[in-house]
Amino acid sequence: MSDPTAFDLAGCLQRVRQRDQSAARELVDELYPLVIRIVRAHLPRQVAEEDLSQEIFMKMFTRLEQYQGAVPFSHWVSRIAVTTCIDHLRAQKRRPEFRWADLSEDEAGVLDAVLTNESDQTPDNALAARELVNKLLDQLNPSDRLVLQLLDLEQKTVAEIRALTGWNSSLIKVRAFRARRKLQKLFQELQRKEHS
Amino acid sequence: MNPTDRRHPWSRLAAAARSAPDDRDPSAPFGFSTRVAALALSNNPPRSSFSMVFERLSWRALGVACVLMLASVAVSYPAIARTSDDEVTVRDPVAEVLELES
Repeated sequence: MSDPTAFDLAGCLQRVRQRDQSAARELVDELYPLVIRIVRAHLPRQVAEEDLSQEIFMKMFTRLEQYQGAVPFSHWVSRIAVTTCIDHLRAQKRRPEFRWADLSEDEAGVLDAVLTNESDQTPDNALAARELVNKLLDQLNPSDRLVLQLLDLEQKTVAEIRALTGWNSSLIKVRAFRARRKLQKLFQELQRKEHS
Repeated sequence: MNPTDRRHPWSRLAAAARSAPDDRDPSAPFGFSTRVAALALSNNPPRSSFSMVFERLSWRALGVACVLMLASVAVSYPAIARTSDDEVTVRDPVAEVLELES
């Protein structure tokens, strides 16, 4: 038996194409959790998540006539969200320098733990770790950052990233390699500074 | 670097970041969907095929009208030029009456 509360996407899209405003509202409400998850994961500095979400939905409605149904609608919207985020990240001209002095006490503690502790233990302050990860990712170029975020934090496969970004597998692997190498250099530099 | 090597700082940091709870509300803020739907549907409404055909025919009709106007001006130009060359004397009846009285 089918779920009566299941969202009728095809019907909703048809009504949106006929300029039905209530259908457009339903579509936004339905897709908002998907879009906000992507926005929060890739939110550039100094950009409000609501503004970015609105921009993504506006793009979605503008391009709705181009959607042919070749891929699931959620994938199509995710791709718009990811490319919009990356455009915003690219628009950020300068990346802030990563310095110990700018870290909060918790973040500095987490960084110290991961740099000095060789054992297989994760730092307990997960929220501080997440903030620290965001600051480290800010040091990367937008494309490399996106790949590392999707691979190492969201644990997506290369195939899923390919579907989200449209990049080929080799490019994704090269970007991941480049990003990890840059982070490794950054960690080595931090360790050197700490020891000196 | 092996990305799955848990001894590496990045791998351990990423694992810790993944375990961070995200208690932010994933639902749309109040009024968001209404505002976005209104904005989206007020911009560039898709036109029906009838209006597109009408628009194309209207432009064609305007073009034809312009060509006809130019053609008619070209055809009647000698007549217009001749008329402007002729001297036109305007008779002023008041002046004529005044002249007769004097």
